[in-house]
Amino acid sequence: MAKAHKVIGVEPLRSYQENARIILPQRLEEVYTWEPFIRDETKREELHNMRISIKRLRYTMELFRVVYGLPTADSRYAEFLAVIVDLQEILGDIHDADVVLEVLADYTSQSGNREGRIDILSGAATLIARTQETRKADYETFLEKWDQLSAAGFKQELLSFLQKNQTRKPVTLSRRSPL
Amino acid sequence: MATGSEIKDIVPDEALEVCARQIIVNYFHEMLSYKEGAKKGTDIGFVHDMRVTSRRLRAAMDNFADCFPKRPFKKHYKKVKAITRTMGAVRDLDVLIVRFENELVNLMEGERSDIREVIEHLQRKRKDAREPMLMLFEELEETGFETKFLEFFGGRYN
Repeated sequence: MAKAHKVIGVEPLRSYQENARIILPQRLEEVYTWEPFIRDETKREELHNMRISIKRLRYTMELFRVVYGLPTADSRYAEFLAVIVDLQEILGDIHDADVVLEVLADYTSQSGNREGRIDILSGAATLIARTQETRKADYETFLEKWDQLSAAGFKQELLSFLQKNQTRKPVTLSRRSPL
Repeated sequence: MATGSEIKDIVPDEALEVCARQIIVNYFHEMLSYKEGAKKGTDIGFVHDMRVTSRRLRAAMDNFADCFPKRPFKKHYKKVKAITRTMGAVRDLDVLIVRFENELVNLMEGERSDIREVIEHLQRKRKDAREPMLMLFEELEETGFETKFLEFFGGRYN
């Protein structure tokens, strides 16, 4: 599994909301580093890594939700977040299918090596066929969603939203915490 | 179900350093609240919730790493990572077992025997996968990890 990208430019003494503008765009960029691999459905590891990056972005967006808490911005933020959760879930379904296929492939190869086992492998064979089908359908759904988001300029929309819609005007230096 | 998506009382104007401590300590407490259930092992929800919260905790630590001195931070981070990893091994098997159990009803009787065999195999693996998790919990308790973690991240707020 790929490590989280190191976030650059964090300023511990500046406000939480100012740092939201520094951290969130970098987490979004991290997701897009996996984009070059998504057209190849055999790139299982990369798709899995994209899912992990999306999850990281989701958790980070949830952390900074309070920063985008104005009534006008809150529902839009929730919409962006819902898109991220949706992508995470569909990539999760693809990953689950890959794991199931791996387990069944291991099982059938081990069982096939044991004498007289081939005849009762039908359940595994049925599940392999079904899982391959759902995996294919999920992958196509994912690509469709991704293409729709790209066509709608999702990344730029979100980046621009993150810069413009904070609760308060940024302050230059926040007060230090009491000792 | 893990409730960690929202941390209360975060003030957007407050220094990141202050909020980071608050968030990390909060997630840490939540993560630990599932530990006894995870140790028991009868309800798979506890392992799930503890793992999810450990992931949220790690996401926060990844984002806020620059707020803390590097070396001790790294030490604590590694332990949290080990928690996620050992719990992940158990959780992945829980998910697979439930999935195959659900699939049984969609198969004809003659097709079920090998899937039952797969489930039994996964259950044995799950039992094995719980060992490193329980050993890690024991090690963390013996070395006072929880106290040290809270002292480091809670600092002046505890």
